[in-house]
Amino acid sequence: MSSDMSTTSDTWSVRFEDVSKRYRKGGARYPTIGAELSQAVRRLAVRMRGQRPELQGTIALEHVSFEVQPGESFALVGSNGAGKTTALRLLARISAPTGGRVRGRGRVGALMEVGSGLHTELTGRENIWLHGSILGLPRQEIRRRFDDIVSFAEIESAIDTQVKYYSSGMQLRLGFSVAAHLEPDIFVVDETLSVGDASFQEKCVERMSSLIRSGTTVLFVSHNLPAIEAVCDRAIMIDQGREITQGPVKDVLARYIAWMEDRRIDLGALDDNQGAVRIVRATCHDATGNERSRFAPHEPIEIRLEFEGDRPIDQPNVSVSISDGRPGSIIECSMLEDGNAPATVGRRWECRLHLDTLPLRPRLYQIWVEVQEAGGRGQLMEWLEVSAFRIHAPLGTGPQAVVAAAMGGAVDVPYRWEVVE
Amino acid sequence: MTPKKRSVDEFTYDGTRRVSLLTAIRELVTFRECIWSFAARSFRVRYKQTVLGMAWAVLQPLAFLGIFVAFFGGLVHKGSGASYAASVLAALIAWTFVSNGVAFGGDSLIADGDLVRKVYFPREAPVLGAIISYIPDFAIGFVIFMIAAPLTDAHLGWSLALVPLLFVALMIPTVAIALPLAALSVYYRDFKYALPFAIQLWLFASPVAYPVTQISSDWRWLYALANPVVGVLDSFRRTMAVGVAPSWDLLGISLASGTLMLLVGYRVFKQLEREFADVI
Repeated sequence: MSSDMSTTSDTWSVRFEDVSKRYRKGGARYPTIGAELSQAVRRLAVRMRGQRPELQGTIALEHVSFEVQPGESFALVGSNGAGKTTALRLLARISAPTGGRVRGRGRVGALMEVGSGLHTELTGRENIWLHGSILGLPRQEIRRRFDDIVSFAEIESAIDTQVKYYSSGMQLRLGFSVAAHLEPDIFVVDETLSVGDASFQEKCVERMSSLIRSGTTVLFVSHNLPAIEAVCDRAIMIDQGREITQGPVKDVLARYIAWMEDRRIDLGALDDNQGAVRIVRATCHDATGNERSRFAPHEPIEIRLEFEGDRPIDQPNVSVSISDGRPGSIIECSMLEDGNAPATVGRRWECRLHLDTLPLRPRLYQIWVEVQEAGGRGQLMEWLEVSAFRIHAPLGTGPQAVVAAAMGGAVDVPYRWEVVE
Repeated sequence: MTPKKRSVDEFTYDGTRRVSLLTAIRELVTFRECIWSFAARSFRVRYKQTVLGMAWAVLQPLAFLGIFVAFFGGLVHKGSGASYAASVLAALIAWTFVSNGVAFGGDSLIADGDLVRKVYFPREAPVLGAIISYIPDFAIGFVIFMIAAPLTDAHLGWSLALVPLLFVALMIPTVAIALPLAALSVYYRDFKYALPFAIQLWLFASPVAYPVTQISSDWRWLYALANPVVGVLDSFRRTMAVGVAPSWDLLGISLASGTLMLLVGYRVFKQLEREFADVI
């Protein structure tokens, strides 16, 4: 346990004390019973000598500590495989930590996966009873909430139908509805809100907000950053099982977004970069020719792309697209459109694209490149994400400034408000 | 935001420390309705989409009865008062509960792997639920025995009143075997495949097709000690078919060894359950 943990007050609702989790090596492959036994004997011998056996297996969490106060909502952020879901599984007591302690006060309600805990041979009604009692709810409480659960899930007409005949949407609604109506003291939600239709998603967010308002402690894992910023007070950022930072949600999200931006792309390692034309270098430069990856809004940018090919090529058509990570491109410059393809290039050549102004809002932008044959008859190099740059400007002071800057509209125009009565 | 006012039940989840059996049992009591739900579900699901339905509950013991009577009826006839058929049927009804309870209890964690992976509940619950779900089958078997009593020439008597108590005694070896078996099956599916075979062997190692008097009285205590169903099955035979009291020393030995196995088996289960969700 780290020393700063012991100085905090004793009002916590959830507490991770130096928690580590390792999964068995080889994942699903079972070792032999013999190996297992010899391993157990070795561990026992270590224990007899009064030492703690060394942890083994792949790391999912390593020495993670945090504390969540009652009524607080707490987010875990990180890229895929960072260990967020593992942390929630430990808290939900689905699997046990291999080191440290996970402590909680009160009943934990977990919503981890679509339809978790539904039995498809049983009817919706039987499932509500089963699920409720699996989560430790007394019968009279299930009875009291039964109608709410059914109407929230919108399955009134199918309540006596076996769940195997439900659509996946219905299963999700039923699963969420049961979990959300159990009035847990600690509610654990893992990305499930991204499924289901829009109106149901809205109901889910509403239900979560009302749980938070009524004093439920919420732990939330999602890739939906606006939802995290809107709902959560504090957050922890995890990468490869280790804590990167924790604190107020705005600070953690800002750090997380910046971290995502700083990842570099290894062009040589790209599977799709093995065609007749390959990109070997992609860099951004400012007006004086210095390589940079950060720019102010409206600052001129020069994108330099170095290609290599198996042979000299006539009229290669280069296209460059700029996106902010969401589907579709914001800016596209293509020789297929402007007709500026070079007459011929050798085995190694460089292409420079000068963008005199970029009216973009502060965030990370990805650069995508494609090369087509003369006349656009076929791809010499398919669309590849080759580099990224960041438009940087002071953050606004509004309540959702971090996420709005990261996720809102991308085009930057001068504007001002005027409110009249 | 004020925290909810509710009795705070605090939990600590420490993967490196052992859970005391007392804590574990206290939690089972809290989750008794969960166990009950697993039992009710297993029972409901079991005979769904079957034509014969509940008749399956009695087909198995009756089939064995037929085989035993046909093949061993002549050989083993040192009966202690009752007919061979009545003796075998009484023991078979009890045995069927044990074998079903062990087979389905042992398989229940794998069968509910999806739940284990996604939801927290005491991991004993599906195992105990699967065993409990065979109580109605036992009751039906008992009724069949009573109906068939005039045909099988069973000596019904006051000792029938002991059957509910003996049933509790029957639960002990069943749970004692099913719990560690279920846990080990999560790690090694070998147990699952070896099980039907092992249960057949166990049947012949138990006094079902033959009375316990077939074993020399010098070694009977060891027999009852090594196989904890021996004393219980013998008691079922005596109370139901012969109409006399159980032989208490034999029952006592089997209960003692069954209880010891239960303690060890439950400890194994608690030790292994930490990684169920990760390896299942």
